[in-house]
This record gives sequence, structure tokens and C-alpha cells, in this order.
Amino acid sequence: MTAAVPATEAAVPAGRDMPRAVTLLVFARDRGIFILWGAIILAFSFWCAPYFATLDNAMLVANAAAITAIFAAGVGIGVMTGVLDLSLPGTAAFAACVVGWLMTHGQPTWLSLTVGLLAGAVVGLVNGLIALRGFNPIIVTIGTLSALSGLAAVIAGGYTFPGLRSLQFMGTDRYVGVPAPVYIVAVLFLAGFLFLTRTRDGIRLMAVGGNAEAARRSGIHSERYRVLGFVISGLCAALGGLVSTAVTTEATPEASPGIIFNALTAVALAGVALTGGRGSLPRVLVGALILATIANGLTIRGVQPYWATVLTGVLLLGSLGLERVIQRSVSNRLMATANLSVHSGKA
Amino acid sequence: MMTAALRLTGIDMHYGYVRALTGIDFHVQPGEVVGLLGDNGAGKSTLLKIMSGAHRPSGGTVEVHGRKVELHEPSDAARAGVQMVYQDLALVDAQDIATNLNIGREILRRGPLGWLGFVDHKAMRRRSEAELDRLGVRTAPMTRPVEMLSGGQRQVVALARSAIRVAGAGQGVLLLDEPTAALGYEQTKQVEALIRRMAAEGVAIVLVTHNLPLCHEVADRVVILNRGVKVADVRLDETENDHIVGWITGARPSQFVTRQEIS
Repeated sequence: MTAAVPATEAAVPAGRDMPRAVTLLVFARDRGIFILWGAIILAFSFWCAPYFATLDNAMLVANAAAITAIFAAGVGIGVMTGVLDLSLPGTAAFAACVVGWLMTHGQPTWLSLTVGLLAGAVVGLVNGLIALRGFNPIIVTIGTLSALSGLAAVIAGGYTFPGLRSLQFMGTDRYVGVPAPVYIVAVLFLAGFLFLTRTRDGIRLMAVGGNAEAARRSGIHSERYRVLGFVISGLCAALGGLVSTAVTTEATPEASPGIIFNALTAVALAGVALTGGRGSLPRVLVGALILATIANGLTIRGVQPYWATVLTGVLLLGSLGLERVIQRSVSNRLMATANLSVHSGKA
Repeated sequence: MMTAALRLTGIDMHYGYVRALTGIDFHVQPGEVVGLLGDNGAGKSTLLKIMSGAHRPSGGTVEVHGRKVELHEPSDAARAGVQMVYQDLALVDAQDIATNLNIGREILRRGPLGWLGFVDHKAMRRRSEAELDRLGVRTAPMTRPVEMLSGGQRQVVALARSAIRVAGAGQGVLLLDEPTAALGYEQTKQVEALIRRMAAEGVAIVLVTHNLPLCHEVADRVVILNRGVKVADVRLDETENDHIVGWITGARPSQFVTRQEIS
């Protein structure tokens, strides 16, 4: 028996009638962090008047957020691809020491920097290739973290590389009143944002993070993109290490785990799901800026700095709760409309 | 007689000492919907995996449009124009419909931006809309993330993704594994209509299911397996439900003389 083929009837409800509440909730989920940041700025503007809301202070905040933001970009892109790269501090220290060694051995600055960034990419590649063998990426990158910080110390011979003044152009120098790291962050996030949302490889990267099996069935080598995620993460880590070095004019082999926790906080605040495939770089940037803004405002008011950490933690937990509420509310409402369209026969 | 879109001849499949399939002949014509039926463990899934390239048969040949092919992995099958739609759909939830339909076959922008790998979102959206229109499915807007779709809409997107890909390969073959298992009544009706419409477009469809009413709605012919052997291959309008159930359960003798009986 063959069913007649209905020629015109749509097979599925058109569904353009998304309820307004859902649109609002989704907006709150996706753009909420910008509103939160605005609210924090507004609050501090009154509370810390007249010192907070000035251009100079804005530059301070931006500069303070810069290094966290660079690492957060690495963690963020990694997490969106479905890999949590904990080796970032090690990669950063390693790249910094490579650059320090090259520069103190008479190599030109541009060459040293290029090699430093390449070192980061290679570390990412190695991480990725090991993780592809079916090992847990978290354990793998903890291993490379340890190995790399050791290697960095070997390169530095147990000391540091001080006095790298030729790096000041990307550290403490200001252009048109704006510190160099802020430009680097701006370029990095713009490039990353365009890559992830507008280019073929970026979109595939996000898809692999979201559902590697779906990507594979669409004829995509998901393994390659997973490795690419590690490579980008390693590149960002190396860049972060180089900018830190440039700011202090000293390359140190010390791999501070604080780096990764700050970056992870910014990423989590930005609502990037650790399960992968979800999130956006502009939000990660705002996440890093929120951390810096809170620290800055509280410092201006003379509040002891560890309260900033407490506040950040509370904020993070609060944002988790809010996201859960929104998610549940959205799916409840969508369920209701799906049933509605079936029962009212609007197909 | 028309060349079959997909023809399997004398397929044997052994897992160690276990014979999963013995001497299966199977074909599906362009525009035909064939239901592949059988009880649990009858070998339906194994046969489907051979068609989709996930498994290699121990013996026998696979032909696509009269051309003999060796399917080493699913991407070989996809290249030959055979697409499998799995029960678990495998969509990227966080991405919108257009991205899900276009991934792996993106349209790049023209000019220097295209050389950098920038995609043309508008052109892809337009193409997907045209393709969905041709299939007669208007789901949600193209920019709606898949996670915000109902079960039926997701199923339609997954079916459309595969249908579009086989349509690109001329008259392709679509393998469906329980496409309506997770759907409600109305959504099942919609998917049934989509299956018929794809068949009307010339797509050859193999439908694996336990759902006899679904088979009666959409299939032209059924092939029934019992314990790894083909026991029936009949047009649905030349048989009746009791016979089908009998073949599935093994209560009714095979239409064919099986090898076991010869030996």
C-alpha cells in the first residue's frame, strides 16, 4: 500500500511563532553578560565616584584584563572545540623562555617572537596528537604542563631572562594613549570571532566541539579539527606568555596555575559550556573584563583584594544558577508550544 | 528492467563462528521504498551496516547503480551516493538549521575573503531553503538552533540533511533506521509524507523498522529476514499483514529454498 503524496502540505509546522518570552530568555542567556558588565560599571561609577568612571581608569582595567583575556581566548576556543587544555601556563612559560633564550643569544626580536609562537603551536599539536590516541585530554595536558614548566626551567638554567627591553613595544608602550596589550587583545578577539563564526574551518571547529559524530557523518575529519583546537589553544597560551614577558621585560619559567584558573573563570562566566560547541569569544572577553573591573573597583574603594576573589566566585555560581533556570524555562515553554501546534492542527 | 539504485548479491557475514547473514540478495530501485523487516537479531542492522559501509561483508557484492563498489567506511558509501540516517540523528544542537544542513559542503564567498575561507551565510541559507522547499518541508526559520526544535522537526532536519546529500549525487540511496521511533502521531505522519516525497523525487529508500503500520504507509515492498536468512521479498499490495507477521516470527515457511534445506 502506498500513501498518496501530499504535494503542497507542509510536513512540519512552520514554527515562526516563537513565543516572545522564549526570545527574551534566549536574549538574556546570550547577552546577559553584557548587561551584567554594564550594571557592574554603573554600580562602581556611583560607589567609587569620581575615580572609577574615567578614561585613564578604563585603560587600567583594559590593560589589567588583557593577559587574562588572551589566556581566556585559548581556554575558550579549546573548550568550544571540546578540549580542556590545562597546559596553558606551561606553554606560556615555555614560549617565554624560548624567546628569552633566543633574545639573550643575539637573535632579532621578530625572529624570537615568531619562534616563541611556533613553539606554542607545536606544543598544541603534540597535545592534540597525544589526546587523539584516546587519552583523556585533561590528564594529557596536566602531563605536558608539568613537562613544559620543567623544560622552561631547563632552558632558563634555573634562573630567569631579565632585561628584555626590546619587547616593551608590545608590553608597556602606549599608542594614542592605549597600552599595547589592549591592541593585541582587540586583534586576537576580532580575528578569533571572525574565524569561529564566519569561516569554514571555524564553523566546523564549533560543530566538532558540539557533536563530533554529527560532523564526522557530514564527511568531516573531526580528529583534525580537534587537533586544530589544541593548536589554537597553544598559540594563545604562547601569545599570553610573550605579552606577560613583554610587560615585565622578564621571561620566567614559573608556570603559575593561577593563569588557568583566571582564564577558566572568565570562560565560565561567559557561559561557555564545558561540554563544548557552545559559546562566543566576545562574551569571553567581557568575562575577563568583568574580573578586572571588579578587582579595580574594589581596589579604588580600598576593599581588601581577596574580597574581589570572593565576589567573582559568587558571581560565577550565580551565573550558573541563572543559566540553569533560563535553560529549564526555555525548554518548558518550547515544549508547551510544540504541543500547542500539534493539538491546534496548525500544521 | 531499470538498474537498481542499490543491489546486494549473495551477502554473507560471519562474526567468528557466528553467521549473522547468509546469502542475502537485496535490491532497491530508484524512487522505491523498501521496508527491511525482521525480529531482533534477524540481521537487519547488520545488513544496514553493510549497505552504509560501516561493516564489510565476508562475502558477496554490493552494486550502486550497476557499478560494483567496495565500501570500506561510511564515507565511501556517502561518496557513492548512499546515505544513512541514524536513530540518534547526530545534529549539532548548538548550531542553527542552516549550519547543520551545510556543514561539510559550505559555500565560500567570492573574492579574497573566500580565499581566506570565509563562508557565504546568505547563499547557504538560500540554498538550504530551496532544497527544503523542493522536499516540501518548511521547518522553523533557518537561523533557529536545533536545540530549540521539536523532536519531529529535528527528525526532518536530519532526514533533509541526508536527502540533500544523496540528491546531490544524482539519484541516491537513503538508509533509514527507525525514523519514527521517537515521534508522536502527528510528527510520524509528517515524516511519512517526507519519505514518500523523497521517493517521488527518485531517491531509493531502505527503511528498517519494527513498525508495521509505518511500513504499510510508506513502503512499496518489504524484505523480511529471519535468523540471518531472507525469508520473504514481496510487494505490499500482493500480501497481507498476517503473512508478514508470520515471516517475521518464523511461523510461516520461507518463500525461498534456503541453503540449509539443500544441504
